[in-house]
Amino acid sequence: MTTPVLDDLLSLTKAAIPAVEALLATATDRLREAVTEGSKVSPDLTEQHQAAAHALAWLATYTEALRQMQTWATRLDAAGGFGEIEALLHQIAFGEYLAQIAGGIPMSQGEIARPQDMFLTQGDQRAMMSDAVMTLTQNGNSPAARARLVTLMQDNAGHATFGATGLDDELEMIRDQFRRYADEKVVPHAHDWHLKDELIPMEILEDLSEMGVFGLTIPEDFGGLGLSKASMVVVSEELSRGYIGVGSLGTRSEIAAELILSGGTDEQKQAWLPRIASGEVLPTAVFTEPNTGSDLGSLRTRAAKVGDAYEITGNKTWITHAARANVMTLMARTDPETDNYRGLSMFLAEKQPGTEGDPFPTPGMTGGEIEVLGYRGMKEYELGFDGFKVPAGNLLGGVEGQGFKQLMQTFESARIQTAARAIGVAQSALEVGMQYALDRKQFGKPLIAFPRVADKLAMMAVEIMVARQLTYFAAWEKDHDRRCDLEAGMAKLIGARVAWAAADNALQIHGGNGFALEYQISRILCDARILNIFEGAAEIQATVIARRLLG
Amino acid sequence: MKVLVPVKRVIDYNVKVRVKADGSGVDLANVKMSMNPFDEIAVEEAIRLREAGKAEEVVVVSIGVKQAQETLRTALAMGADRAILVVAAEDVHQDIEPLAVAKILKGVIDEEQPGLVIAGKQAIDNDMNATGQMLAALLGWSQAAFASKVEIDGDHAVVTREVDGGLQTIKVKMPAIVTADLRLNEPRYASLPNIMKAKKKPLDEKTADDYGVDVSLRLEIVKTAEPPVRQAGVKVADVDELVAKLKEAGAI
Repeated sequence: MTTPVLDDLLSLTKAAIPAVEALLATATDRLREAVTEGSKVSPDLTEQHQAAAHALAWLATYTEALRQMQTWATRLDAAGGFGEIEALLHQIAFGEYLAQIAGGIPMSQGEIARPQDMFLTQGDQRAMMSDAVMTLTQNGNSPAARARLVTLMQDNAGHATFGATGLDDELEMIRDQFRRYADEKVVPHAHDWHLKDELIPMEILEDLSEMGVFGLTIPEDFGGLGLSKASMVVVSEELSRGYIGVGSLGTRSEIAAELILSGGTDEQKQAWLPRIASGEVLPTAVFTEPNTGSDLGSLRTRAAKVGDAYEITGNKTWITHAARANVMTLMARTDPETDNYRGLSMFLAEKQPGTEGDPFPTPGMTGGEIEVLGYRGMKEYELGFDGFKVPAGNLLGGVEGQGFKQLMQTFESARIQTAARAIGVAQSALEVGMQYALDRKQFGKPLIAFPRVADKLAMMAVEIMVARQLTYFAAWEKDHDRRCDLEAGMAKLIGARVAWAAADNALQIHGGNGFALEYQISRILCDARILNIFEGAAEIQATVIARRLLG
Repeated sequence: MKVLVPVKRVIDYNVKVRVKADGSGVDLANVKMSMNPFDEIAVEEAIRLREAGKAEEVVVVSIGVKQAQETLRTALAMGADRAILVVAAEDVHQDIEPLAVAKILKGVIDEEQPGLVIAGKQAIDNDMNATGQMLAALLGWSQAAFASKVEIDGDHAVVTREVDGGLQTIKVKMPAIVTADLRLNEPRYASLPNIMKAKKKPLDEKTADDYGVDVSLRLEIVKTAEPPVRQAGVKVADVDELVAKLKEAGAI
């Protein structure tokens, strides 16, 4: 059988990367020039050129994505595991992403990052078109390649992913166990929980505690398992594939643990980490306010010291799983003279878990549910604090004014975990869409026999692998104690777009049935939508990435 | 007491089985393989006996290709203490027949001296349902096949068996061979700490030769065929039409 895989693919893709790197370097220089005032990058000018800056962030994200695909492919090839399905994923990814770099990268459905937006000239664009880039843009993402990929995907022989992930046996064993758990205990109920807007049953939380989910990355000295971020990624992927709510149960524990590990006193570590690890303590993250979302530094909730306690007064919103939680990682302003991040402090504020009838029994706080489109299962709340007391010993780190800095330290992990959740949601959309395309017959054929349907599935599989490799890379960097805010942000940025595209396209495959609440793809679409908003909206991620690139 | 559990690496139960073009068997190239589900139940039961203080050690054994060590690692991650891999084939397509498996197991048992062997009642790949029984015969031990409940009572095992007419409870003297049926228990998921521990647990590697067993095939596979494709049916309006159609088809 002839295969649409290009000759000497790995050399071809390897040769394409320097051309893209050169283009990125040129674009970075041009933009830096445009936003520099005196000898410094001016925040005002950067904001004026926001479209260009974000375009640059996306270009850098694509460049890193291609590099990581190349690393993955090369490693698999060396181990004898670079089969036809992997080759097609790799080839289509290069063909498509190179073509988008040349023609325009979709930052959202309506906003395309074009080379000219980044002050790139036609000459720069021509220079990028080396022989390798030309071959790949012309023939990489061919109809034949996509068709063959979908044929292979239908014949996946029970494998959890479309194409080998490149992870080691132990991580794949973790995947296997969590996939089985999700398939047996989560998938059959997720849609019902969503439709009835119910909290995820406590039995699921108990199971996950027993399986070690909440203490995954907490060091063994503090009662955790001391596992890698890579294992956290795999667990989050598989649980989110079952249901985003279940894949997100560990998120607040992860944030709280990161906060305490990096910012807490020894006493606080001893007191909290073992109980978070065992699942005995369920944390919730209390940062956002009605008037401060992305601009967290300007938050206004006050923490006033009265005797040996702080009294919290103010309003918070978008607090996930708040009623059930026993501790809040709560950020409030301890220095009323400030209006920026410098006056903020983080508290480990204990509260009593509520019941359905009385969700917020603790004195000094009230709460109301926010009804939401998707990402249910833990429920969202707005909270009001009025003289809510927190003992002074529960100030994280014991020093005021460190809150924002402490929170920033958790961003890398939280974004990696969110990227993993996005991959899980995208994978579920792909699987659900593919099953429907196989089962549903129109014009005498299953839908999957129509190229436009199959193409959607092919592109989902390709982009899921791209998001995976970028996420695994960020986790790898984190596990090796290297700064990875850039990579984590890129993984989250692309993961969220991929998940939304996958959900939208999988729903499209369902036609009218996808619009019916009865079909689970309707839920997956709603769940996917949050990924581009929380843990740093797409626009914030792009800003952060651009800022790092411009230096 | 030591409990020994044989486990087999088989095609995953979720995989749609494909017959090789020459009809010589099932295509296993690049197919997801897992532990035989009945063996998983057996491993679970052994671990539960240890957790209940009825057993001290759970040893798992797999006989087949080298890749069966993945299956053993899964058993170790579930909670087994130690594993023995007997490499008896190089090609993933080569089956080891029940008699050869039983003979190798006898060799392992002679060395290990377990008080109880719990095996899956059959493997889901070729459904032989013979190894446990043959092993009991070779060892001259008591056997209790198709167990849905196992209780240890001194030096006896009280085993409830699923038989055609219902449930039968028998008491067998140990050492004994028990084979696990579907309803014996619901196997656990391996927890993260146990997955981590699994790689540090001992896994000994042996060969069929170490036990002096000839694994060459005694059975000849004449043909392997896919089940016939189901034909489309017809809808009937009422019972009368159904009866008429059944008569027409010669079914009644």
